[in-house]
Amino acid sequence: MPINIPQRKAVIQDIKSRGGMVAAVLPIHYPRALLRAFNIFPVEVWGPPRVDVSLGGSQLQSYVCAIVQNALSFIKMGALEIADLILIPHTCDSLQGLTSLLIDMVKPPSPVFPLYLPRGRREEDVIFLAEELQSLYAGLAELTGRRPTDAELLAAIAREELCDQLSGRLYEQRQTLGLGNLDFYRLLRSREYLPAEEFAALAESALAVEAAPLPGTPLLLSGILPEPMMVLDLIEEMKGLVVADDFAGCGRRLYRPGLSPEPFRRLAESLVAAPPDPTRGNAIGDRVQFLVEMAAKTYARGVIFYEVKFCEPELFDLPELRAALKERGLVSLHIEVDINNPLPQQTATRIGAFLEMLNH
Amino acid sequence: MEIAALGIDVGSTTVKMVAVNRAGALVWDYLEPVAPRVSRQVDDFLAKLGAKIGSLAEIPLVATGYGRNLVQQARQSKTEISCHAHGVFQELGHGGTLIDIGGQDSKVIVIGARGRILDFAMNDKCAAGTGRFLENSAARMQIPVAEMGAVALTATEEFTITSTCTVFAESEIISLLAQGVAVEPILMGLHRALVKRVAAMVRSVGLVPPLLLSGGVVKNPAIRKVIADETGEEVFVPTHPQLMGALGAALFALKLAD
Ligand code: SF4
Repeated sequence: MPINIPQRKAVIQDIKSRGGMVAAVLPIHYPRALLRAFNIFPVEVWGPPRVDVSLGGSQLQSYVCAIVQNALSFIKMGALEIADLILIPHTCDSLQGLTSLLIDMVKPPSPVFPLYLPRGRREEDVIFLAEELQSLYAGLAELTGRRPTDAELLAAIAREELCDQLSGRLYEQRQTLGLGNLDFYRLLRSREYLPAEEFAALAESALAVEAAPLPGTPLLLSGILPEPMMVLDLIEEMKGLVVADDFAGCGRRLYRPGLSPEPFRRLAESLVAAPPDPTRGNAIGDRVQFLVEMAAKTYARGVIFYEVKFCEPELFDLPELRAALKERGLVSLHIEVDINNPLPQQTATRIGAFLEMLNH
Repeated sequence: MEIAALGIDVGSTTVKMVAVNRAGALVWDYLEPVAPRVSRQVDDFLAKLGAKIGSLAEIPLVATGYGRNLVQQARQSKTEISCHAHGVFQELGHGGTLIDIGGQDSKVIVIGARGRILDFAMNDKCAAGTGRFLENSAARMQIPVAEMGAVALTATEEFTITSTCTVFAESEIISLLAQGVAVEPILMGLHRALVKRVAAMVRSVGLVPPLLLSGGVVKNPAIRKVIADETGEEVFVPTHPQLMGALGAALFALKLAD
């Protein structure tokens, strides 16, 4: 069933026409609800792909990933001027470098807010993050002149928690939604720019469908994001079915609700307890366990690590992670991609060979 | 000649076609440089074979290799990874770690005891670690590719080529020649640079002995020697190393004939 997802541009125009503000948010983890409580709508910027990188390239080393190269080019082109602010979580050194470049040199018209994320899951990490969120709140209050109450914050949190729960159910019902690989990910990724209410409505209508289980060799994908997205069609053509993922932008953001009734702490608890992610310093052992359990639950026969070229946090752990998965009986394939280019024929050969190997 | 199935391997530099009988034994083969219009080239191959044995209409054909999707006459296409593994397993009768060095890419495939692929790695991004690396260097040194290995083995010393990148290696060759270094030690160094790249791929999948070799490049004796040196393993080469992909494809076609 093809799903009708609104276009990003139309969504932004609609937000603006209703008096909302837009935050351009760079990857990966951030408090959606906190922004929404200020009537600020997050629109995520994962690159975007296929941008002329020459503008950004002049200020970045060639080994910085395309997400950051593209984002800088995009900002320098003036494409983010529609945003009322830019939020950059401290995901990796490259994004932290971008924050400094923007604040110290590029000075875009919209204010830049960094967000420091803790590298662990301990109580002190929750406390640290809750304090960070409070200072973000202060910055947003200064920018907007608004001071949302705890009740308003909790209402925004509840809306996002509902979306998290619906996203989780989309994964659980993945095989009977009647959605091919590409449509499934178009739906999931629409949350990168759709307001919670609109995403929830879309997700609920998708969940109402109960189709015959999709055929195909069950696979997991891992990496930063499924971009170029043509890989999803390619896998389908080769009779593979993506049953779940460990993408930073998708499966690793299946947040569970926090427990505290206090809004900042509740947000922090939820972000800190998210699935293991190398950008947050989680141990390789935790990732292995997570992937092995995911594979067992979904009957996935292998993992494709579909990695953005030069993504240091992902690539650093990968050899050890793959070796450990192999020891646990989960085979994997590593593909590095340039999000600005179409997939080369060789990538199709590797994926084809991997599926042939799994089906032998 | 009894022909039960056909396999074709459209590589980046050559096209190989083989025929097998019902027992899966190779009974006919043909190899020539790849033409820009692959489908027409396959028609010519088929016409040549048809002239020998009569109609081929019912005989299944499976295509593999870089240009496998261009072979319209094929009933099915399979990746070169599966085909090389299948061909080598049939030919040598056991599993192990297969290194295939082709003109444009190289692959390392771990084959289990019953012929199943257990893991693989592919270098397909650049010419380093592939036949193209040697071809470029041969052209720069004005030595026919077919003689490179034999000439390299006459070296009494070896000159280290630090670059595995084809473009940088070429600059290194030029500067070494300009310094008056003899051709043979440079050639030996070039072979080692290529093999080091392949050996890194072997390490990435984990070597499961014995070491098996296929692909046109392994006809080069220096490559065989340096691979054995670098891995510390004895190497096994099938009788027709260049035809293993096509043979594997023909064996898959044989399953379609059943
Ligand atoms: S792709 Fe990797 S290196 Fe680039 S911004 Fe994302 S986490 Fe950082």
